[in-house]
Amino acid sequence: MTWTIARKEIVSNLLSYKFFIVLLLTVVLIFTSFFIMHRDFKNRLADYQITRPKPGDPIALVPPNPLSIFAKGLDEALTRSFEISVIGITVRAGQKSGNVIFSFFPTPDFLYVVRVVLSLVALLFGFDQVSQEKERGTLRLMLANTVSRAKILSGKWLGNFLSLAVPFMLVTLLGIVFLSLDPDIHFSSGHILKLLLIFVMTLVYIAFFLSLGILISTVTKRAASSIVILLFIWALLVFIIPNLGTLLARQVVNVPSVRALSEKRQQVWTREVLLSIGEGGTRERSIWAEHVRAISEENDRLEENYRAKFVRLVNLSKNINRLSPAASFVYAVTDIAGTGIEEESHLKREVVRYKDSIIQDIISSIISDSRTKEYPAFQYNYRTLSDIFAQGALFDTAWLAFFNILFFALSYYAFVKYDVR
Amino acid sequence: MLKTIIKKEIQNNIFSFRFLTSLVMLLVIVTVTVFILTSDYLNKIDEYSQRQTEIGNYMKSYAHFNRIGAILEPSQPPIPFYSLIRGLSSDVNIGEFDDDPLPVMFPLIDLVFIVTILMSLIALIFSYDSVSGEKEDGTLKLMLSNDFSRSKVILGKIAGGVLTLFIPFVVSLIVGVLLITLEPRVAWSGADWGALGLVVIGAVLYFGFFYGLGMFISSRHQASSSSIMTSLFVWVLLILVIPNLSPYVASFISPTPSRIKIDRETSRITDTERDDLARKLRSERLRELVKKYPVLVQAEGLSEAKIKERVAKDPAFREAYQARTREVQAAIDEVNRIQGEKADKIWREFGRKEAAQTELSRYLSMVSPLSDFTFLATDLSSTGTRNQVHFGQVSSLFWQAFRDYMQQRVAALQKKDPSTDWYNTPVDMSDMPRFQYKEEALSGRVKSTMPAFALLIIYSVILFLAAYFSFIRYDVR
Repeated sequence: MTWTIARKEIVSNLLSYKFFIVLLLTVVLIFTSFFIMHRDFKNRLADYQITRPKPGDPIALVPPNPLSIFAKGLDEALTRSFEISVIGITVRAGQKSGNVIFSFFPTPDFLYVVRVVLSLVALLFGFDQVSQEKERGTLRLMLANTVSRAKILSGKWLGNFLSLAVPFMLVTLLGIVFLSLDPDIHFSSGHILKLLLIFVMTLVYIAFFLSLGILISTVTKRAASSIVILLFIWALLVFIIPNLGTLLARQVVNVPSVRALSEKRQQVWTREVLLSIGEGGTRERSIWAEHVRAISEENDRLEENYRAKFVRLVNLSKNINRLSPAASFVYAVTDIAGTGIEEESHLKREVVRYKDSIIQDIISSIISDSRTKEYPAFQYNYRTLSDIFAQGALFDTAWLAFFNILFFALSYYAFVKYDVR
Repeated sequence: MLKTIIKKEIQNNIFSFRFLTSLVMLLVIVTVTVFILTSDYLNKIDEYSQRQTEIGNYMKSYAHFNRIGAILEPSQPPIPFYSLIRGLSSDVNIGEFDDDPLPVMFPLIDLVFIVTILMSLIALIFSYDSVSGEKEDGTLKLMLSNDFSRSKVILGKIAGGVLTLFIPFVVSLIVGVLLITLEPRVAWSGADWGALGLVVIGAVLYFGFFYGLGMFISSRHQASSSSIMTSLFVWVLLILVIPNLSPYVASFISPTPSRIKIDRETSRITDTERDDLARKLRSERLRELVKKYPVLVQAEGLSEAKIKERVAKDPAFREAYQARTREVQAAIDEVNRIQGEKADKIWREFGRKEAAQTELSRYLSMVSPLSDFTFLATDLSSTGTRNQVHFGQVSSLFWQAFRDYMQQRVAALQKKDPSTDWYNTPVDMSDMPRFQYKEEALSGRVKSTMPAFALLIIYSVILFLAAYFSFIRYDVR
């Protein structure tokens, strides 16, 4: 019975204007997004080929992550060039830092399309499920049969979910097939597993918005008011809560600004150089070596201090933002893709460790007055899936699933109590 | 007659569910946003003055002319408009090791966001059924069976609709602004109020555009359930797609060379390459000089204290040594100039390419009214790209003043004690020029936003005309 209703839903969807618009939107957006992000990735890969360090250079540079085509996240920050010298770490940023227009608008990647547009589309599939059938009177007819309300609801849910998810998945798969035709992009089996996980998350995310749509459609009397409420809830969940949450967290946890920190580092460097000049100039090797060590240690202390506060800020803002499933979705997907906040912190820790070992080499070469030209290369391994899940993604997945179950249950409850007259 | 329709339209809207929801929603969001942004602004002021004090303290003990360039680098102070509009002020700093990735994940929300996303959505919610909905209800037939002309009906509808949208927007904005004025530490100047007034005019044009869009789409559809679909489709393209794609498209059309590579190259030119060249030039010049002052041969290998001693005792040596110092300084200046010009040339060429790309992205994105309003509001409030240029100019004025001060100061000090290297010795700089940031004059900002205003007006007029002609031909049956 459920299946009959689902089939009826799918057929009536397929012929509707709504379905046509949604399909058009999905096809256009997914293909444009893949095309743009693919070219962007290729450009960054070409830049990486030009700038990758020669063997022996004390430079930490990570190649762009192919999964950033789908979820760009912080990949721009992850693929900066970290160059180690006596000063410490000199950071050079890539292309996007030169064109400020990039910072006005968010990146149009797959993650963005799903988070913003697909959620809206899912709401559009759900918003008139109950109220419209009531307005038309078909709901009464249906219920006059012996079908149980639970079956009707699950049939409706399933039918709409399939008519939303199947075309979307097909379009996305087609896009990925096109991408994999490019020999420059190498998806390892690990990447494919991660992509699969991202897909699962996407489906769970869409399912939540569909349930939300059906719920609101059940508690309102008219489809016109249900769309108004839904659009407002959508704006609240997708934009307002996550964007305000970060700002709110900043008011609670006081983290020094980035600028303050870089000023401090500058001051440490200049002070130590001047002190060493006063004590006999940079010509006195052992004195200079001592100051180089002092600079490195003080910078590490500053970093550690800042990290501790920053981690508190990140955790608080994450927890506030998780009021919205859209934020949970972003955290989970970027973490899985290896472009999330945790990955960036991980990379920074590795870079600091690398810097410390290089500085050791530099100090010993200052003392022995030999000019070392060859330094060990920087090796970076992305976090493993088990680490990713243990450090947050599991929670976000569970949290999304919980939202799903909750809203499906709520819409079930509301539908059972629904007055069809 | 027109008045009656406008009045009816407003009354109809004001008592509707959507009006009430929009009003409540806007009131809550504007109030919360302004409250948080203001408190964030106050934190920023405190932090800024604390940083300035720290730099001041530092300068007391370690002010060497040669070493303080990076310490004195001016930074943008927070401005009072931050409690409404943030623009480019968020502190991502991707060029520093400790960048702040949070705004990349979720950009912060301000008045520009509220207008661009929420007000446009509300405008569509109000207008998507303004024609097709009245047709479905049958009221459109009744209205047109009177002797109203269709043009009056549509004009009344547009005017009434935009006026009703204006109410929740202005009411919530007034509450927000009241919150700001209640905070004594946020001091808005007359120019700020003027800028806010213009931003409000821009906002009215902006949601007027979307109201016209909704009416146009509504009068192309017979059923309001399909006009909402089309409206949302167009909205997604205009708001969520075109602006985001434009910088990427521009970067493909007008690419720039790798920034990391240019950066590395120029810093090599002004660092190791400069040092090598300086060493070469210095020894060449000194070799020449020794021919003129043979006494200088004795200076090689002496410690600084010994040299000072000799300079004090032996006038011939003093003269020779002063000539030597001048020659070394001249060699260093020469090398710095050569290498600086070399690096500057590379940067200028690269900057030209980047500027071309930025311009192109800007123009491409201005197809969408969202970008027009964003550029208009951020430039008017001194938080946009124009302010970045302005800030650069103000800082270069500061550097000029500082360089003049440095030359005068060093010249004066050298007169007193010529044997000391004053560039590398602590100097009391308490009388140095201070960096003072002043926002650009309002007239300049207004002038720069004229194209955006013009585009918004053109877009709105086009849509009103489109709505008008579609309605004239609308089949009311």
